[in-house]
Amino acid sequence: MQQTQRRIIYVILLTLGFAWIFVSADRSGASTSGKIPAPQQGFLAPDFKLKTPEGETVRLSDLRGQAVLVNLWATWCPPCRAEMQSIEKVYKEYKDRGFTVLAVNMTYQDDALAVMPFVQEQGLSFPILLDGAGEMGNAYQLRSLPSSYFIRRDGIINEVVIGGPMSEALLRTRIEDILE
Amino acid sequence: MITLFRSLFAPPRHLILLIAALWIGLALAEKRSERHNISKEALNNLVYYSIFGYILGGRMLYALSNFSAFVQSPLSLFSLNLDLFDPLAALAVAFIVGLISGSRQKLSLWSTLDALTPLCATLAIGLSLSHLAAGTAFGSPTDLPWGIDLWNATRHPTQIYELIASLLIFGWVWFQKTDTRPGIYFLTYTTLAAVAYVFLEAFRGDSILIVGGLRLAQVLAWIVLAVVVFASESLRRVVKSD
Repeated sequence: MQQTQRRIIYVILLTLGFAWIFVSADRSGASTSGKIPAPQQGFLAPDFKLKTPEGETVRLSDLRGQAVLVNLWATWCPPCRAEMQSIEKVYKEYKDRGFTVLAVNMTYQDDALAVMPFVQEQGLSFPILLDGAGEMGNAYQLRSLPSSYFIRRDGIINEVVIGGPMSEALLRTRIEDILE
Repeated sequence: MITLFRSLFAPPRHLILLIAALWIGLALAEKRSERHNISKEALNNLVYYSIFGYILGGRMLYALSNFSAFVQSPLSLFSLNLDLFDPLAALAVAFIVGLISGSRQKLSLWSTLDALTPLCATLAIGLSLSHLAAGTAFGSPTDLPWGIDLWNATRHPTQIYELIASLLIFGWVWFQKTDTRPGIYFLTYTTLAAVAYVFLEAFRGDSILIVGGLRLAQVLAWIVLAVVVFASESLRRVVKSD
């Protein structure tokens, strides 16, 4: 290719690229954040209403104003079991600053009778919820256990962590982010 | 088909795609490295040192920037959590380690970058596949017939756009007759990649917006494009005068 031809192509590319940046600018504030509920970073956390083993109903949207860790788990899942003590530790450490944990047991794929003995054995003090019908699991498009959703005070998912066990440092850095 | 692929490589399994791309890309780069006067062994050393720098640097710098969290639980430094990682810092460390390793082996910068071009092009394919599997780098809502259902809306299949662009660029990289002037091969690849980024970012639904709704990634890609075009012309002029 001749030098002149090549330079003309470069100028055209740069000019078109520059124009395209302005044409495709998102003046509406385009990000989907906060508009559509979806189990993904930047979206409004899908709402759910589940019962605790004691029969008390907890709704996620009622916790708006608090930073929330929604942790999906099952008793048969080794990394879920392994991260519970770390979650308990940080829950105690941060709950006075407006942080809470909703540990949702995927009861539809678990043994419901095994849940409470496990919770007592581990000495967990944060709310445990039971997803007996799998509605919450479906809404959060569950593919792997454990799955954890760090939700800001405004209800937007700040980060999704798939797999585990989560270390204390990971929990602390993510909780500090959602408490800001 | 897409649903099956996404189930098969759902996070954290999507990382398999990146590792496979790295492995294939390195094999392809090795195959062509002699054309750029870089031996297979030298390229291998450079890449492995850089990967080591990437992994170690990403974790160490993440720990340093979140010092208080790690002080309370120092063993987290050795945690298998991939999220305890700073990818940008990791890239910077990998680049520095690569530079040091290259200069110790007395490798020419431009020839080395040329030799690494097939690896970069293959990694771009792996990255687009991992985006598709994880549902990240998703598109803005659309009513076009080829939209895909993702995150509770019909969206531009930006990951597939990205995959097509990466495959086309890879095709160019693989079948293009290597320019004899060191650096031109790599710079032309970077030009194509930057053009693709400027164009495709417009369809993304997760862009970071700056003043006037401009998309940060597009602006950065355009700057890269301008720098690369300038570097390419300068390099051609230097080679010509030599």
